[in-house]
Amino acid sequence: MRELTSSPALPRVARNLAAPSRERALRRTALAATLVVLCVLPFFVNDYVQFVINTMIVYCLVAVGFNVVIGYLGQLAFVSAGFFGVGAYATGLSMAHLGLPFPLAAVIGTLAGGLVGGLVGLPALRVRGHYLAIISLAVGEILRWVYVHAEAVTFGAGGFTLPDVRLGGQLLGDKGKYYVFLAAAVAAIAATSLLLRSRFGRAFVAVRNNEPAAASLGIRVKRVKVIAFAWSGLVIGLAGALYAALNGRVSPDSFGLAQVLLHFAIVMIGGLGSLLGSVLGAVLLTGAPELLRNFPGLEEIVFSLMLIGVLFFMPKGLGGLVARTVPLARERLFRSNGDA
Amino acid sequence: MLDVSDLSVRFGGLTAVSGLSFSVRAGEVFTMMGPNGAGKTTAFNAIGGFVRATAGRVRFDGRDLIGLPPEKIASLGIRRTFQNNGILREMTVLENVLTGLELDTPSTFWGSALGLPASGRAEREAVAKARRMLAEMEIADLEDRSAGDLSFGQQRLVEIARALVAGARLIMLDEPAVGLSPSERAHLATTLRELARTGIAILLVEHVQDLVMAVSDQVLVLNYGKRIAQCVPAELKNNAEVLEAYLGHA
Repeated sequence: MRELTSSPALPRVARNLAAPSRERALRRTALAATLVVLCVLPFFVNDYVQFVINTMIVYCLVAVGFNVVIGYLGQLAFVSAGFFGVGAYATGLSMAHLGLPFPLAAVIGTLAGGLVGGLVGLPALRVRGHYLAIISLAVGEILRWVYVHAEAVTFGAGGFTLPDVRLGGQLLGDKGKYYVFLAAAVAAIAATSLLLRSRFGRAFVAVRNNEPAAASLGIRVKRVKVIAFAWSGLVIGLAGALYAALNGRVSPDSFGLAQVLLHFAIVMIGGLGSLLGSVLGAVLLTGAPELLRNFPGLEEIVFSLMLIGVLFFMPKGLGGLVARTVPLARERLFRSNGDA
Repeated sequence: MLDVSDLSVRFGGLTAVSGLSFSVRAGEVFTMMGPNGAGKTTAFNAIGGFVRATAGRVRFDGRDLIGLPPEKIASLGIRRTFQNNGILREMTVLENVLTGLELDTPSTFWGSALGLPASGRAEREAVAKARRMLAEMEIADLEDRSAGDLSFGQQRLVEIARALVAGARLIMLDEPAVGLSPSERAHLATTLRELARTGIAILLVEHVQDLVMAVSDQVLVLNYGKRIAQCVPAELKNNAEVLEAYLGHA
């Protein structure tokens, strides 16, 4: 699948001549510039655009978390909507029932996502491929059934409205939420990136490539799978917590099959095994429907065409495309010349 | 160091390995040969924990290996390579060798996720170690290449480097010379001899005659899952049963 597209790495000579410290400095500068732009962004956009941008951040986290399982670990588990819902419900319910402040509730939502992630990882120890795909879809639907029917706790099919989202007593508007979301997303994505470039990330990919070989090197395959699922649950659980705060409402129909498809499309279009791709995919697929609002029906068509186009022409997705054209953006589990 | 006694592996009605006994001492290169289907790889898999032995014992430093999972056996200081390629295709060569250091990299989960200095240090030490190994195997120039893009012979060398890097005490190599050029084979032979000299035990499955002759201290010949001969390499040519197994009845 990859042979034709994988560029035969930048010639070694060129890489050796380009002082690694220079590449690193460039990469740091680019990152810093991006952060500065992101920090001043709210001053230039209206409330509607701000809301869309906040939504993009939520889906960046979903895609990054989902990619850990289907991209890096290589397990076909459609669990993202399940983790997303658990994060949103755990956050919303601990605010509504227990009166906890949003930051604490978000931590609970994140941890709940991680816990459910680890539990959902258990079936993956026994089944894989299509069977795992079916089981994971079933888990998502069971969770949704619980949201609908455990009315005493979850407020049933209609969902519920969150108490005010405050930070340090201050009511958070869309711009305030933006900075909270941005900080959370930067932290979570940075931690994921660090993790993927450590021996844990190597273990994920080793399990994806060759389980017997991984085991022969002392990698505890089962443990590695549970860790990857739990981390995925943690990141997507955080996304769910932010999603609850973003809309001020949580209801079961936000976490159905349609969401799984959207998440899958984001990761595929962004590129399996690329964090940058996940971010780009999330921005594109969250932004495009807004641009197409005025052309009813076009949304689905553009969405499908993009998916088909990517699968045919860019098997490594947007992440792969960017990496080919901008060597600076290349991602490796491990970067030989230090980290970004 | 490694003691195999009365090892048998049956798959349904087929007896792949039958009553096999041998031992490998520290510093020794011990080779298993035999025609295809003789049970060499199955014996390997039983020792490494990939196949469950039906009967018999495998002891490593006095510890029973039967029933232990492969990752546990690896943690005791045993590494192996795979006959049909155990390379991690989507990783670079350096990452492959680093993965061989899984058990020797003391970075913790949260330390890695939070980028704590101790984990970073562990990671850098692992990288330095892996690079030294690549240099020793004379494949340092492949470091950044994607392992799946290499030639079969190069992949073999990467896999061997990965098996050696963690300082295992017993190395099991399943047909390591397949796909290697004569000069790569000669280099492999020297590397194996040097390793043995440092006290590492090497268990080899190999067909390539010049390598077997050059490196082995002991050769065990298998056919139909049974030992038909065990001797020093020089005596192989005079062994009637070995000739018969390979060439048929004279």
